[in-house]
Amino acid sequence: MDRFTSILLAAGLGCFALAFVLSGVYPWLITDAREPEATIAEVARRVTPEFKQLKEAYPVAFAAAFPGADECLTDKDLAGVPLDDPRRARSEDAWRAAHTIALRDGRDAYVAEACWHCHSQYVRPVANEAQRFGRVRSAADDNNALQRPVLWGTRRVGPDLTHEGGRRSNDWHVAHLRDPASTSPGSIMPRYTWYFRDGWQVWRTIDPELAEREGLAPTTRYPIPGVYATEAEARSALERVRAETPENLHAERDRLEVAPSSGPNETALALLAYLQWLGTWDASQREGVPQ
Amino acid sequence: MTSTATQLEAAHAGSADLVDKGLVKWHLVMAMFFMLTAMTWGLLISLQFLHAYPFEGISFLSYGRVRLLHTNEIAYGFLVNGFIGCLYYAIPRMTGRAVASSKLGWLILFVWQFILVAMSVGQLLGFAQAVEWGETPTGFRPGTFDLNYIPVDFLIEIGAVLVAIQFLTPIVRSVHKRQYVSLWYLTAGIVWLILTYVMGNTLPEWTLPGSSGAATVGLFIHDLVGLFVTPMGWGLMYFFVPVILRRPVWSHALSVIGFWALAFFYPLNGVHHFLLSSIPMSVQYGAVISTMAVEIVVTTVIVNFFGTMWGSGDALRTNLPIRWFYTGMVGYFITCLQCMFHTTLTMQELIHFTDWVPGHAHLVMLGVFSFWIFGMTTWLWPRLTGNEWYSRRLNHWHYWLSVIGLLTMFVDLLAGGLVHGFMLNALSDWMEIVRAMHGFWAVRTFAGAMILAGQLCFAWNLWKTWTGPKRPYDYRVDLATAGGV
Repeated sequence: MDRFTSILLAAGLGCFALAFVLSGVYPWLITDAREPEATIAEVARRVTPEFKQLKEAYPVAFAAAFPGADECLTDKDLAGVPLDDPRRARSEDAWRAAHTIALRDGRDAYVAEACWHCHSQYVRPVANEAQRFGRVRSAADDNNALQRPVLWGTRRVGPDLTHEGGRRSNDWHVAHLRDPASTSPGSIMPRYTWYFRDGWQVWRTIDPELAEREGLAPTTRYPIPGVYATEAEARSALERVRAETPENLHAERDRLEVAPSSGPNETALALLAYLQWLGTWDASQREGVPQ
Repeated sequence: MTSTATQLEAAHAGSADLVDKGLVKWHLVMAMFFMLTAMTWGLLISLQFLHAYPFEGISFLSYGRVRLLHTNEIAYGFLVNGFIGCLYYAIPRMTGRAVASSKLGWLILFVWQFILVAMSVGQLLGFAQAVEWGETPTGFRPGTFDLNYIPVDFLIEIGAVLVAIQFLTPIVRSVHKRQYVSLWYLTAGIVWLILTYVMGNTLPEWTLPGSSGAATVGLFIHDLVGLFVTPMGWGLMYFFVPVILRRPVWSHALSVIGFWALAFFYPLNGVHHFLLSSIPMSVQYGAVISTMAVEIVVTTVIVNFFGTMWGSGDALRTNLPIRWFYTGMVGYFITCLQCMFHTTLTMQELIHFTDWVPGHAHLVMLGVFSFWIFGMTTWLWPRLTGNEWYSRRLNHWHYWLSVIGLLTMFVDLLAGGLVHGFMLNALSDWMEIVRAMHGFWAVRTFAGAMILAGQLCFAWNLWKTWTGPKRPYDYRVDLATAGGV
């Protein structure tokens, strides 16, 4: 009991191994060992509508973030394309590839910023949690590569994010990341300003009649998607928008201008994709794995 | 068995030249350095909760990243350096043998500080690993084998093996065939550190996802505290308390029960960090029951130490190191008692995601193990520098500011945790919860400032004692006044 070897073998190795088997190996054997872990590509198969919307809203950053982004066609691009056109299948593959990269990079950003220290991904079947945050997930639901290392978290300074995907718009998340208090007054979350890049954007001033009718300032203006690094790029974008605007809306064409702006960068898009994915995948979507 | 005071003291005097005082001193200096940085980070990030964080908008100083430094620098910077320093003092005295090599010692010292710097920089740059208490960068992109930074995890594993070689050598070659209780804890703790660290920093990262990953992470969080920090702490207490009080440990039987029951039950607790989750319920119940068993074990150890002090209770008043040690032991008892109750599923429902848990963690990491390191440093410093304290009064300031600050923080976070828990259960509006917590968070910042002020007193005192004019320290005076506070 008090000799080096007995301490080393019985306590040092024995007790450790026993606990490892009982509380590490055993739970693994009866849960996750029963089926292979879902890969990131597998959980990215269902591309969220919010991810597609990111391409429309931030085309420049999107193209820079995800290789093959120009193959990703939005619903607008696909209008009028026949259902059996190979472009549709190619586009679907490109979306999945981009979504896979986005989820991986988004998870990496989530880990790097230690989001998981304040936001749990762990709804318990008690304390009205399912009512506030959504369905309790099973072990099989979390048996995927994005939960390795596990991101359940142990603290809830901010709300649980298990089912965050699709709950709020991309715009809400962009505004929230940049300045959390703008969407949640009183929020103590840090401002993630380094996820944004200053640039130039095309803006359209509001129709004066509409402004008057709605009681808005006549100087109110709306951004046209696309934040560019230089003023010149934004100018050529303005020309494109002007050219695309129908002839009969010439007043609209004259209300365009280029002005400084700011938008989410590549990492931010990945993080947004990840947040909008959370909770949208579960084990029932697995193919070829018995439930 | 060398558990009597006379034998300990004989060993003490006879093996004094086996101790490399430089290594003890420099590890303690680095421990104090990282304690100051870690507490500064802690105080800073608490301002985030009060809308007053000064570095908001700077990526590498943002709340999320600096928070990692607060916990990791305490664990790997303060506690590990502090324990290693004290081991350099205690182990040669208990075994009658010097450590493996002084050169290896200096190598470990430098390698470990390099690891700490690489760890801190990596976390600030966003290379942290998503394992609680083990956010040390793997050096790989999460869950893959693409190298992107210095593989700090791997370096820590190497460092832990070097530490094992350094300290297990004298234990194996000990002049005593049967080991004193301290050495049971220290031997096992050194082996456990390697196993725990490898397990917690490889499996959840590369093989086990979701639920089974969480079981292993829980095991890691718990083993790091229970199988490294705890045995180091108790092992050193079993050495320092009898040495300072010059009395034998009260009961050998309780020492045996305390050690083996701790070794058996403590590691089985891991899953209690993720109760009411998708980890199989049988494993969760097992963790709850063994957590309760630990409290019983802890009680035996506490009884043993209070038995040891029986009859020299005056030392609590006159001897500052002893006061630090016993304050820590009371803290330990409260921590484990608290654990016994809040590990039940009923309490989990209420407090799991709240400030109750950081309150508990501060009591155990600061109020127990850090206090013990403060106590040991207080006792060792004049002996290491050969200088009389610059100011004994400052040491008392250190004690009282730390204790009152910690108690304030503990009670505040517990109360805040309950409020948070009840509001969560009641489905209160989220921002209303945040507003309700504001007062508690403000008190926490205040308490944190108090604790940090205490450490500044201590650091200043250590510095002045070390570099000040030579005022030879006569430890016989100390003995005459029972440690001479």
